[in-house]
Amino acid sequence: MTSRILSTTILAVVMIFLIGPFFIIVAASLSAGETLAFPPQGFSFKWVLKVFEIESFRSSFVMSMMLAIFGTLAALVIGTPVSYALARYKLPLGEAIRTIVSAPIIVPGIVVGLALLRYLVIPFGFNLTLALFLAHTALVLPYAVRVVSASMANLRSDIEEAAVLLGCSRLGAFIRVVLPNIRGGILAAFILGFVTSFNQVPVSLFLSGPGIRTLPIDMLAYLETTYDPSVAALSALLAFMSIGIVFLAERFLGFSRYV
Amino acid sequence: MFQNRAESLALVLPATLFAAIIFIAPVLILLSEGIRPAGGWSLAPYVSFFTTPLNLTVFIRTLKLGVLVTVAAAIIGYAAALCIVNLSAKGRGRMIGLIVLPLMISPVARTYAWIVILGRTGIVNQALEALELTDGPLRILFSETAIFIGLLQLFLPLMIISLVSALENMPRDAIAAARVLGANWLQVFWKVILPLTKEGLVIGGTLVFTGSLTAYITPAILGGSKVLMLETLLYQRVTIANDFASASVIAMILIIMSFSANLLLKRLATARAKR
Repeated sequence: MTSRILSTTILAVVMIFLIGPFFIIVAASLSAGETLAFPPQGFSFKWVLKVFEIESFRSSFVMSMMLAIFGTLAALVIGTPVSYALARYKLPLGEAIRTIVSAPIIVPGIVVGLALLRYLVIPFGFNLTLALFLAHTALVLPYAVRVVSASMANLRSDIEEAAVLLGCSRLGAFIRVVLPNIRGGILAAFILGFVTSFNQVPVSLFLSGPGIRTLPIDMLAYLETTYDPSVAALSALLAFMSIGIVFLAERFLGFSRYV
Repeated sequence: MFQNRAESLALVLPATLFAAIIFIAPVLILLSEGIRPAGGWSLAPYVSFFTTPLNLTVFIRTLKLGVLVTVAAAIIGYAAALCIVNLSAKGRGRMIGLIVLPLMISPVARTYAWIVILGRTGIVNQALEALELTDGPLRILFSETAIFIGLLQLFLPLMIISLVSALENMPRDAIAAARVLGANWLQVFWKVILPLTKEGLVIGGTLVFTGSLTAYITPAILGGSKVLMLETLLYQRVTIANDFASASVIAMILIIMSFSANLLLKRLATARAKR
């Protein structure tokens, strides 16, 4: 009995530590006061509404959305063939290729951002948006390859060989047999990539310029000058967005199986 | 298995070229700046980096925080994971869901909450004042303590999840057997649980340690401009001083650390696959 009470207490304390701050953010963002405070002073939605009025948040939100969607799509377009080839072919340098496409996980984002700025953007006049897109694609590539590889591993090759024997072209077999079977894995990879890219800060730090900023970077910059609850409100909104995405993903495809 | 070499190359070429050109080449050039500062080979940037007191302080602080956060995460992680594996299957699933959830939320949002809690007029200071434990507000924000708390909250879920899966793979009756044979709880932990779950501990520990070392957001928000860690130092060196030699040295330190951590994880995984 005592051990049961002890165990409940430990779990409660850990959960308060992990999730409690999130509730405080939500409460602080519903404050009517002018500065960030908890307990909130009064109740109002004015800071939540203000988030939508701040022009830079709007444009950086669009930027982050675009990067997360198209960066992840690009990573899947080049990453899925790698997962497929690693699973189906005897590749001469298979391990080396796996290491190369997974390298972005090992190198801290801030280093990638700086390297791109200094050796692609400045000397070759790449525009920042393109550099951000390339950086986010590179960042997501390892996750795309890993998650899609995991679902390729569960797919036996004989149905595909059967399709080829029955006269389907190799590409046709891939599109009509393999793709439908790894659909769940691709979707899971997309969600994981999207969340990773959207929340990413270090890689985008150096790749920002006038009017070109991702949302988290914009929030950091806003924090340096202002102490009102609008960032709390935005944080709460973003958290709800992530929770919603994960909840839907779990509900409709058992997301956690893939990650 | 297919054998067509041209076909397989065509499949892997785009991603490999992309990673090599967009990612690996620029990073390697950046690293080379630390050993070829002015066109000639020299280790001067490394010497000057490690002989500057500020850099050394930041380097040691980063390692120290990494170790402290990992140790704290391991202790809390074991306590939490042991409680979780004793729950019913349903309760366990829910608990793990709740623990994974914060990982999906923007780290900026998660870290920002601590400003509300630890700030001058934050909850902690209000409580301390109400209890009349302190004269005037404590300065918790913009200190190592604040960074420690922020990092621990950010990375604790990774440790708990690793330990839960290690404990789940442990023979169920090992603990009971040790108890019956007269071991006290400390002995059970030290002689039974720890050896049987050390792989999970290493995996969780590596994730927490590298995560802490390469953290940017936490020190940027909770450390301010004075209490720097390696990544915030790198950012400052570049933006304030245009000092790419130091940036290259810091990049090398960060890459070596996370590369060795990854190597360790890979060896663990292959060792397990062989068993």
